[in-house]
Amino acid sequence: MTISSPVLRNSMRLILPLTLLYALYAMLKGHNEPGGGFIGGMIFATAICTYRMSHGFAAQLRLMPIHPRYLIFLGLGMALGTSAIPLLFGYPFLRSAVGEFHLPFSAHPFHYASAMAFDLGVMLVVVGVAVGMITQLSEELE
Amino acid sequence: MKLENFIILFIVIPMGSGVIGVFLKERVRIARVLGVMSFLATASLAIGLLIHLRSHPTGILVSQMGAWPAPYGISVVFDSLSGLLLAASSLVALACYVHSFSTVEPIAEKRYFHPMVQLLMFGVNLAFLTGDLFNLFVSFEIMLMASYCLLTFGGTRLQMTQAYKYVLLNLVGSTLFVIGAGLVYGMTGTLNFADLALFVSKRQAEGRSLPPGFAALSISLLLVFGLKGAIFPLWFWLPDTYYTCNVSIAGLFAGMLTKVGIYAIARTFPMIFAHGNSDANRIVMPLLAVSAAFTMFLGVLGAVSHHNIRRILAVHVISQVGYMVFGLALMTGVALAGCLFYMIQHMVVKSCLFLCCGIMERHTGTDDLEKSGGLLKRDWYLGVVFFIAAMSLVGLPPLSGFFGKLVIIREGWESKWWLSIFGLLTGALTLLSMLKIWGYAFWSPSAKAIERTPQNMSNTSSLRPAYVGATLLVLVALFLGFGAQPVYDIAFRAGNQLVNPDEYISAVLGPHALDELTQYRQQEATRLAAAAAVEVMP
Repeated sequence: MTISSPVLRNSMRLILPLTLLYALYAMLKGHNEPGGGFIGGMIFATAICTYRMSHGFAAQLRLMPIHPRYLIFLGLGMALGTSAIPLLFGYPFLRSAVGEFHLPFSAHPFHYASAMAFDLGVMLVVVGVAVGMITQLSEELE
Repeated sequence: MKLENFIILFIVIPMGSGVIGVFLKERVRIARVLGVMSFLATASLAIGLLIHLRSHPTGILVSQMGAWPAPYGISVVFDSLSGLLLAASSLVALACYVHSFSTVEPIAEKRYFHPMVQLLMFGVNLAFLTGDLFNLFVSFEIMLMASYCLLTFGGTRLQMTQAYKYVLLNLVGSTLFVIGAGLVYGMTGTLNFADLALFVSKRQAEGRSLPPGFAALSISLLLVFGLKGAIFPLWFWLPDTYYTCNVSIAGLFAGMLTKVGIYAIARTFPMIFAHGNSDANRIVMPLLAVSAAFTMFLGVLGAVSHHNIRRILAVHVISQVGYMVFGLALMTGVALAGCLFYMIQHMVVKSCLFLCCGIMERHTGTDDLEKSGGLLKRDWYLGVVFFIAAMSLVGLPPLSGFFGKLVIIREGWESKWWLSIFGLLTGALTLLSMLKIWGYAFWSPSAKAIERTPQNMSNTSSLRPAYVGATLLVLVALFLGFGAQPVYDIAFRAGNQLVNPDEYISAVLGPHALDELTQYRQQEATRLAAAAAVEVMP
């Protein structure tokens, strides 16, 4: 469903990047605080769906040039890959590698965990499912 | 290289090939090869591990996900019970999958048929391996999602009507399950099977009663598992569901879905909810016994009354589930071993009958018994395969069903003789209904329907995979019959570990988990000895 409203179309220029950024923030924050791949994915999907409402399906495909269905399985594959790699090093499944590295312009060391890639996979699955469902339903409406 | 880490491969392999299979939508041949490889890999892994673990002191392998210790993290446990079920289910999946190459419509293959079969087995394997109640719920959900897809591939009106009922019913079941799991956590503070078993054993050793409402909770979980397992009052969804979908998929479902429900009862009830001599035990046991009698007997009466091959086979699943519930209702080590053996033999045999039914439908163009006939003259090989599978189902010695029924009925004779009589009666009626199919479809003179069948319907070269699938399963069934001893060795171990979960607890929670419990037991023993001494004194 597309809503032809100039107000929405123009404010999308601001809303879209902000929401996408916030989605990434929520995803990254999730390691130690409330947040994570699931909620990040939901926010990301909201942004995409609002964009679709204002600009239409063709514009959504330009923004995200892959059918959402494949995102689900890309995400699943990514999560599975990250969790299976420890098996090669003699650790149990899902074991996360953690460490720190220094960023050039920051005093604080950056703490990373390989569980982040798993979370990114979860995010892709959630985006795929949410956007995919809404695409399917609105195709039936149109 | 630690062996424990690799039991997760039972989950990684089907999930990985499911994910890859999605991207092979247009390359059907590669997708098929990948699927066969995946099932071959899990089957050989399961059988290899079972053989390897025969000399192991407990036969239990535990992997803690992400190296988080047991009651807090997720445990994946491979023991004799899950090992046997994994081996059988992988073999059945392999056979049904190969069989589907000659029955599946090209449109379904384009609609992600191959990944869905893999994801179904991902859920089933996870259910057999998981060590906690919440992941059992998750695996049920994965399995159900995939089964919804597989049920509705044709998209016909009839399929949609049946699938709608199936989805609705399972939604209710899942809701109840997750509520039950939440309540278990609220009452005991854990969801890990080993930790729950420890909780119950500790309470009993101390002589304290279980939390109030524990019995009610176990009944509600029994309701959920019974719904999936199609036991007596909850079986109404089953016959229609298996009737409408693709026949290879029906074979797979008949093998897998009900067994997962029965497995869930076998895993949780002897160890936790009905362990020892608790209130829950006193309520659950009679319920299970009555349900077993009704499931066996009403199921087989339904099968005798039907006149359609697929319906007879589908209703038969219910009656056979009754035998497994019979084994569960006795809840001794031997009876549980019998139940386990019966489960794996039923998976193999029932799926084999469905696969034969698929070939018969292709030959005659119908699954109505009245219209078919003369199959033995036309295809003697199919007749042999069907006959062996049918007689295994009935339980004619030396075939596999006999050994399952023998152990369960003999064990039941002592405590619940009336159930054993029901079991024997059901066996006789099973023979009757199988002979009905045999008589009408194979022995009767060829009916007119066959001449009306278009030639391409029973084109033998396209049926080759179907024969391969059915042959594989009948060979497994023969092995289970003639090689029952080694399988039973593993099954008895599994049964004893279910009734006496100490080995399971110490394998999952570490060797010191039992220290406190042993102390209580020793105190109790000395107290009893002292009391006995006082009684003797005067």
